[in-house]
Amino acid sequence: MRGIIMDALFAAMKADERVFFLTADMGINLVERFAESYPSRFLNVGIAEQNLIGISAGLCNLGYRPFAYTISNFLVHRPYEQIRNDVALHGYPVTLLGTSGGFDNAPLGPTHHVVDELGALGALAGIDLYCPSSTNCARELVGRLIERERPAYVRMPKDNFDHPALEGETAYLPGSGRQTLIIGYGATAPACIAVQETNPAVSVLICQRLRPLDEEVVAGALARHDQAIVVEDHLAASGVYGALCRLAMEYQIRCRVRSLAPDNYSLQVGASPRFYQARYRLDKGGIEEMICQP
Amino acid sequence: MPSACLRVEPNQVRATVLEMLYRAGASHLGPCMSVVDILVALYGAVDVEAIRQGRPDRSRIIVSKGHCAAAVYAVMHHYGLLSADALADYCREGSLLAGHVSHAVKGVEHSTGALGHGLPVACGCAIGLRSRGDEGSRVFCVMGDGELQEGSVWEALMFARHHRLRNLVPLVDNNRISSITATDRVIDLQPLENRFAGFGFEPYVVDGHDVEAIQEALESIERRGEPGVVICNTVKGRGVPFAENEPIWHYRSLGEEQFRAALAALAEAMRQ
Repeated sequence: MRGIIMDALFAAMKADERVFFLTADMGINLVERFAESYPSRFLNVGIAEQNLIGISAGLCNLGYRPFAYTISNFLVHRPYEQIRNDVALHGYPVTLLGTSGGFDNAPLGPTHHVVDELGALGALAGIDLYCPSSTNCARELVGRLIERERPAYVRMPKDNFDHPALEGETAYLPGSGRQTLIIGYGATAPACIAVQETNPAVSVLICQRLRPLDEEVVAGALARHDQAIVVEDHLAASGVYGALCRLAMEYQIRCRVRSLAPDNYSLQVGASPRFYQARYRLDKGGIEEMICQP
Repeated sequence: MPSACLRVEPNQVRATVLEMLYRAGASHLGPCMSVVDILVALYGAVDVEAIRQGRPDRSRIIVSKGHCAAAVYAVMHHYGLLSADALADYCREGSLLAGHVSHAVKGVEHSTGALGHGLPVACGCAIGLRSRGDEGSRVFCVMGDGELQEGSVWEALMFARHHRLRNLVPLVDNNRISSITATDRVIDLQPLENRFAGFGFEPYVVDGHDVEAIQEALESIERRGEPGVVICNTVKGRGVPFAENEPIWHYRSLGEEQFRAALAALAEAMRQ
């Protein structure tokens, strides 16, 4: 998905001189064309994430629309105070572009697993959170990000995924039954949809915008089902599961909200994201198992 | 056009700061008093009217040691950027003027309070000005010497040097006291000029209570056209005899007798 977003962003830089691309020395064979084609609106700030965010804020003072790119574990946690004070507090339209969400960088180990950044950023006032779940969503997201007047974070999943029904900020794929709704985003979207393909009674909700949630669509979907299973490669309480529980309570929806998430996170290392998806039951088999569990 | 013709008297600014702090029962007297002359020099060196109008080509003053908000607002007032009514609201319920500088106050570029944030933001402003071809505007960033213990400051200096940001000038309020004690007893960075020179910045060491000397240093940096830093040697609590070089005046608020004594000391200094 990263390549799709970068292509769209590269095209946008030609059309809109406000767009400024920054990297903290990440993106080999990806960011070079930005530097070559738009040298006055490209910066590699070096391995200095606090500076990455502070400079992005300063560029907003000049009216630019900065896109700050690096892997999410570096992008969010190291410069958290800069994101809070220099970006969110000022309401600056900085877009944080992060890769390595969830277990996308699986073999690199726990420091490079990112299962808590949505919660960390979600704790701040004023930052919206996105995670595109299909290539067409990723492509059209860039234009909306540029036009925004607020800060945003985008978790860019590693794998591309195409599905004709996945469009807009929230996609609801109703099943034939009213028992189970499966909710996923990003890397877990393909497994959610795969479950529906073999069990058409199941409904699926795929969120591209994680904060704020599309309350009308999400609450409507919850209200139509007995149980909802949130499948995410992120800690449950601070992830979409937590947001959904709150929504269900506020709207007084009678729906059991359940979670499949890496809450019992361990230091055991896997060679690919599939190892972790299987371990934490974030795959098709895990979802099907939970549907059947009382 | 520079605003030097306004001839703001630093000790009058200090008297305004005292009134603000006393009325509000607020702290940070020490760091406010040390930075006054630096701010008077800076606002005197830029086009204040451009700041008032928020013109895109204005020079930008970012005060990274945000806890000297009373001094910033008092200087802005004396340069005509803030009304007396606004100052009277300092730290009152519902006011926009808090104990750390806020961009909610018109004319303030950036909210600060956590240290080490201003210089990266200033770098962003400087590179942005360059990117859009604005050669005439400058970006100034005022830091405390205690603040230099933050690693982000040095990230930004490395960046500024690498990109030869000639339009960016850091200034250090070198009062040698940080939050609770002398900086050389915490992390000794003195002599600061060696540190900055090592990072590729030409140091200009001046008496930080000499407005003209500070402005001359700013002009020298501009003439030379290479990254330079102004190290302003100052006294924490300057002008208030019982507060000078006393760390506790980072935190203590003024009682009535102290307020009267401080005002009298400033009045005496202005008579001399």
